[in-house]
Amino acid sequence: MSDIRDEEDAHEFRAEALSLWRITFSPLIWAVHFVTSYGATALVCAKGGVGAVALLRLGISIGTVFALALILWLAWGAWRQWDLRRDRAWENDAGTSEDRHQFLGHAAFLLAVISFIGVVYVSLPVLLIGGCG
Amino acid sequence: MTKPASLPMAEGPYPPSEAALAEPVPQAEQQRGAEELRAAWKTPEGWRYVTAVNNSEVGKWYALTALAFMLIAGVLALLMRVQLAFPDMTFLDADRFNQFFTMHGSAMMFLFAVPMFEAISILLLPAFLGARDMPFPRLSAYGYWCFLIGGCFVLGSLLFDAAPKAGWFMYPPLATKEEGIGPDVWLLGLSFIEVASIAAAVELIVGALKCRPPGMRVNIMPLYAWYVLVVGGMILFAFPPLIAGDFLFELERSFDWPFFDPTRGGDPILWQHLFWIFGHPEVYIVFLPSIAIAAMIVPTVAQRPIVGYSWIVLSAVGTGFLSFGLWVHHMFTTGLPQISLGFFSAASEAVVIPTGIQIFAFVATLMVGRVKLTLPMLWIAGALAIFVAGGLTGVMLAIVPFNWQVHDTYFIVAHLHYTLFGGMVFPVIAGVYYFYPFIAKKLLSERLGLWAFWLIFSGFNITFLPMHLTGLMGMPRRVFTYPESSGWGWLNLISTLGAFIIAAGFAVFLYDLLRPKKAQGEIPRNPWGAGTLEFSHEVPEEAWGVRSVPHVTSRYPLWDQPQLVERMDAGRYYLPDAPDHQRETIVTSVIDAKPVHVQRVTGPAWITILAAGFTGGAFIFPTFHIYTPAIICGAFAIVCIMYWLWTSTARPPKEEMRDAGLGLRLPTYASGPDSVGWWAMWITMLGDATAFASVVFGFFFYWTARSDFPPEGALHPMGHWVVLAALAGVAAWALTLAAREANVRSKVALARAALVLAPLAAGVAGVAAWAAVRDLDPTSHVYPAILWALMVWLVAHLSAGVLMQGYCLAGSVFGKLTPRHDADLRNVTLYWHFMAVKALVTAAILGLAPGWLA
Repeated sequence: MSDIRDEEDAHEFRAEALSLWRITFSPLIWAVHFVTSYGATALVCAKGGVGAVALLRLGISIGTVFALALILWLAWGAWRQWDLRRDRAWENDAGTSEDRHQFLGHAAFLLAVISFIGVVYVSLPVLLIGGCG
Repeated sequence: MTKPASLPMAEGPYPPSEAALAEPVPQAEQQRGAEELRAAWKTPEGWRYVTAVNNSEVGKWYALTALAFMLIAGVLALLMRVQLAFPDMTFLDADRFNQFFTMHGSAMMFLFAVPMFEAISILLLPAFLGARDMPFPRLSAYGYWCFLIGGCFVLGSLLFDAAPKAGWFMYPPLATKEEGIGPDVWLLGLSFIEVASIAAAVELIVGALKCRPPGMRVNIMPLYAWYVLVVGGMILFAFPPLIAGDFLFELERSFDWPFFDPTRGGDPILWQHLFWIFGHPEVYIVFLPSIAIAAMIVPTVAQRPIVGYSWIVLSAVGTGFLSFGLWVHHMFTTGLPQISLGFFSAASEAVVIPTGIQIFAFVATLMVGRVKLTLPMLWIAGALAIFVAGGLTGVMLAIVPFNWQVHDTYFIVAHLHYTLFGGMVFPVIAGVYYFYPFIAKKLLSERLGLWAFWLIFSGFNITFLPMHLTGLMGMPRRVFTYPESSGWGWLNLISTLGAFIIAAGFAVFLYDLLRPKKAQGEIPRNPWGAGTLEFSHEVPEEAWGVRSVPHVTSRYPLWDQPQLVERMDAGRYYLPDAPDHQRETIVTSVIDAKPVHVQRVTGPAWITILAAGFTGGAFIFPTFHIYTPAIICGAFAIVCIMYWLWTSTARPPKEEMRDAGLGLRLPTYASGPDSVGWWAMWITMLGDATAFASVVFGFFFYWTARSDFPPEGALHPMGHWVVLAALAGVAAWALTLAAREANVRSKVALARAALVLAPLAAGVAGVAAWAAVRDLDPTSHVYPAILWALMVWLVAHLSAGVLMQGYCLAGSVFGKLTPRHDADLRNVTLYWHFMAVKALVTAAILGLAPGWLA
């Protein structure tokens, strides 16, 4: 009989304590990207000189590429944690540590996808609108 | 170095083996356990009934009170519709009409929608989780009494013709200049209720994270718990900006500090930002828990597990995040830079994706299941139809040029009612039908339910569908009447007729809800054939929540674990008895729900009602500019809360370990991150830090928005006092930390010495912060005013920190706090971690920012 002090999966899933937080990392990147873009725009439009808007657009574009790269990297990690290619189970609905592990990967992966789309959306105005107006 | 004292840990077999579960419980044992539990969880009778704190009682009161407030707000709407039925009506005058639309919106949002979420969650969450109660029952009760007092106060102002009349979002300068006490009623009354909301959010988050039954890992917890987590988190980040805004607003109303007065450097747009950073997430705070009810009903109706559990989790979490990027779409006409508008337009379109995903997941579940069209499902179907229509107009409104066109017209009124009826009212009524057997142990009438549905559904569309057109034809919101030549008369008449059909539907629903149902007899335990734990409830009712806390291995334990209910009833699982006649529940780990310890839960008390009464006084007296009784009430409220904490929380237990059943032995005391109190402190401080950040945001907002910030030749805070405040603040934190470390190493005298010095250092920090800004005149310009506001904020928090240090010192002296039992000190240290950051940030703004900005 197993004992409550046994840490049967301790090695395999050591980082799990963090993984409930980890599913929020991609949306957090979206949030940071959003707030930075908004803050920088407000600042440049209120205080910036003539050439500042071009610089702002460049800056936000670089920030966007950086944010998208980070999200892709998180998505790759989450995809591997989900492990769909090896284990075709989609639902991960058993009360086992393996299913919990894969479920958190699945959720993190989906959130990375939505955050990716969110970051792309938010960067569009910078590409399409040229001035503070 | 002395070795740190440590608490015992859980021991025994886990997870339970099938053999252990299959072993029957002797009859005598079953009877003993049941009797002990019945004694421990007895609901107080007679006039003492109001002292009850059990989630089933508090949840019922909460829900009924919110329903009553909703009906009052609904009556206001009907009266407004009468006034608008024909052109040039004189049924209501302009002033009363203004009061009514302001209170209709405010009451529906603050007194119905958000409290209803809290009420339903308090009522149902423990049942979904097979827990005995919420982790802090007295906190729920305190929150409820605050809500009742605050709600009656705010709505009562209508009877004295003194209600606020500047609209539910209280825009300055209209609201700051308004005569009378209306805006003060709004600001103070609703701030009071916001505090109660944050209390409920803390309770619900901790409940969902730490009070799940053994074995219920995060991948199998009911979707409702996921939604509660997300919504609780959203409340923590959405309500504090509004509280910060209320704080600035009330300082302007009471002491003439010009935060929103442009003639003295202020800016009314700051209020709009703070209000809508709250206001838009608020819409999702209302929507998500209601759609969570749909996530519980749909699998039952389809008689199969939900399709796309992970997708719905994505949807809840994703919506929670994205909804914070939408607030400026309420401010498209305020003249912000076009690129900025673009960001919010884009985010408003993006949020549709996760919102839509959950609806597709529900539809998919219904498609692959065998659907029985029950009454709850009918209401859910109505909800989806209406919500999708509201969502589509939302997509239109997210487009800036269209938004400019229909801004402040009845098109907006139509849109927001479609989202709120479809996203909140209909799913909640579906929930009432679905969970009524659980709540009242009776069933609602099928026939009356159909009547109510078709009346409300058709009435709703008759009222609000024409409003799209009324708005496009140009009718502005909030006008108390209109001329005949406008051509809106017939549309308004249709809307008014529809409003009365809705009212008739609600009358039927209400009658069905409240009529006596004695003749019905005993109902089946699981009338819908649901798979989740709440339908393991006992009929007739028992107050103990669950007879024994089950070990759960599936998302739908009632479907997949065939003998579960039988074994729960027999007391085969955990905590099947209560030898000391104490209320207890089981606390588990966050991810995998491994049993950690047994938590004592508090029982019936007057002190919560008393504390809420005094808190009410502290908020209500300042409305009338009476400050001495307010301060006395505030002091008594603090005394009450401290008495309640001292007498019934985190006391060293008699026995260190408790037999929890199935051979498992669990500790009866926890400290630090294992304990629920530590989580509650952590979560509260996150919310508090958000409010602080909002005030700091105000400082930088003025800097970007105004060229005269800081004004030329302004006095700045005195540098040496600022430095002293920072150093003393950090010293107070370091001493608190030192006290914790000394205490855990059994150096009690050293710990006490640190706890004597720490409040002194905190006091020095407070005085120095005050001395730094003493010579500045906060009424002269917004620059000194915001510095004063930061100082007041810091000093208030330092004072709370000093009380906590004193509480720990007293605990150490009187034996409540020992080297092993140091939960209080750990929680207070956590408070001081945040406090140290706040002191440093405040000092940086007071001392350094003027130099940077110049």
